[in-house]
Amino acid sequence: MLEGKTRLRAGALVFPALLLVAVFLLAPIGLILRFSLDVYDPSTLMKGVFSAENYVKLLKDPFYTGVLLFTAQVAALSTAVCLLLGYPVAYFISRSPSEKLRSILIILTVLPLLMGNAVRSAAWMVVMGSNGMINGLLLALGVINEPIKILYTPTAVVIGLVSVLMPFAIITLQSVLDSIPVSLEEAGRSLGYSPLRTLWAVVMPLSIPGIVAAGAICFCLAMNAYATPVLIGGPSVHMMGPLVFQQIAKVGNWPFGSALAWVLMMVTLVMTVISATYLNRKYF
Amino acid sequence: MKRRQFIGAGAAIAAVGMVGSREAFAQNKRLVVTNWGGDWNDRTVKFIEAPLLESKGWTIVRDLNTAPQRRTKLVAEKNLPRGSIDVAHLSISDAVFVNNNGAVDTIDFKKIPNASDLVKEITTPFFLPWLYSTWEIVYNPTQIKTAPTSLAELWNPAYAGRVGVTNQHYQDYIQMASLLASGKLHDFEAAKKKLLELKKINKPKVYESHQQIAAGFKAGEIWIACNYRARALQFQADGIPVNVAFPKEGAALQTFGVCVPKKAQNKEGAYVYMNALLDPTGLANLCQANYYSPANNKVVLPGEVGKKITLTAEQRKKLFPPDFDWLSKNDAAQLEWWNKEFV
Repeated sequence: MLEGKTRLRAGALVFPALLLVAVFLLAPIGLILRFSLDVYDPSTLMKGVFSAENYVKLLKDPFYTGVLLFTAQVAALSTAVCLLLGYPVAYFISRSPSEKLRSILIILTVLPLLMGNAVRSAAWMVVMGSNGMINGLLLALGVINEPIKILYTPTAVVIGLVSVLMPFAIITLQSVLDSIPVSLEEAGRSLGYSPLRTLWAVVMPLSIPGIVAAGAICFCLAMNAYATPVLIGGPSVHMMGPLVFQQIAKVGNWPFGSALAWVLMMVTLVMTVISATYLNRKYF
Repeated sequence: MKRRQFIGAGAAIAAVGMVGSREAFAQNKRLVVTNWGGDWNDRTVKFIEAPLLESKGWTIVRDLNTAPQRRTKLVAEKNLPRGSIDVAHLSISDAVFVNNNGAVDTIDFKKIPNASDLVKEITTPFFLPWLYSTWEIVYNPTQIKTAPTSLAELWNPAYAGRVGVTNQHYQDYIQMASLLASGKLHDFEAAKKKLLELKKINKPKVYESHQQIAAGFKAGEIWIACNYRARALQFQADGIPVNVAFPKEGAALQTFGVCVPKKAQNKEGAYVYMNALLDPTGLANLCQANYYSPANNKVVLPGEVGKKITLTAEQRKKLFPPDFDWLSKNDAAQLEWWNKEFV
């Protein structure tokens, strides 16, 4: 009985947060789902019907499926690079002997997050532009005769996304690595493992939950990225986030924009759940 | 009640009433104006809003957003009991869109004294025209020694890799290609073929906006493009090596102005604002700074700037005002084709 009361109280404490989520997250998502079943009309914007027309168009048109696939590829590549480059940094921070150094490194990692995505993307534009730092350097060194195209390419988008997502990957990985006792590594070393083998055979499997969490965060953010693809990718690099904005705000085609948003959300969710389940099953 | 008490009470009531009416008066001098940001808004404030309205006690609350956001907001607010915007700056194509969606009022031009001599070709019942410009050829005179005379020059293979287009102006480029291919502004099929030809021959560089194509000209990445005459003259004034040429095929008109939302709270104030926009002195000063042509025929543009901005009689004969109903109905299809096939 007492347990039941405690549970009820705990439930009551959770209720306001649940209500907020229901009103401000689930309700708009439901509304978007409803819009996606309407039909676009140039003069009235929407015709209130129940039609799968937008989803059929999206899934049948190679352009839109191509953009979805390309977005997933860019997101997966950016996530992989973030994990590969972020893991050693997170490990270094986690195993740093000095508390002061750890704090400084964590602040330095988080520092880029204090600037908006757009500002960071603008900085990349300065670096990668035709008259930017990279081209300037290559021209000065005589490596190239005229500026090469770096900005407005898929590669530039991946570079931009990695720079945006890296802090999320490092901080998530570092917090999980912190929870792995150093004594386990010492045990591995005492059994004759090299530092690298210890990292691979002992630390890495134990940090899978952190890798999954960091990967999920990076992947979700990359799939839904807007500022980076627009500013660094330019008009020729099509990704889902800008496409949703374009349909809703530029053309006023809310039904198709809503369908794009729903498919983007579902694909992100399914891919994240599948990869997380696979990794968790493989290692646990 | 004694007579003196009665008079006192009456005076008190009158005083309260006066305060009330003063407050109401003060509220009437508050206007919410939605506009583009950046230099467009800066100049609107500098040449119109500050000297002609704010100096006379008006409070302008500025809601600065991109055109799609403003357009969407106007349509979204049409069903609310009270709208948040009193005056909306729009291009005429966006004005047609919001009007088709029933989001804006018909304007009573008789209530705007400065609107007595507007450029007729660009005036519609729901849109007060303010500034306009023409879609022309912009080129780098150090690379292209002979001034181009035809839009076909963009297809000249000698400029392979040196042609620029702006993504935000997909409608203007489609119109330009249509004009070249068929002599009509809205032959979409002919325009598609022509633009794919351009893509094949010259592989144009696609920039997002005015600022980026200006940087492209400055860096020498491109030598030729199309843009509004006003923007080309602004680039020139900023030291970018460009000239502008009126194409022999003619030029599409782009007009900017304002609409009054159906649910505006201060419609009387909106009329005062619209009258100020067309003030001949304010508008002359503004046009000398941004190089757009004024929609008020009473505006006199002096000197060299006036010569650059003003269209000749010959050029006026070759102006093509777009069919905005057609554009509004075909916008989604045009953007989709542009994204899928051209960019």
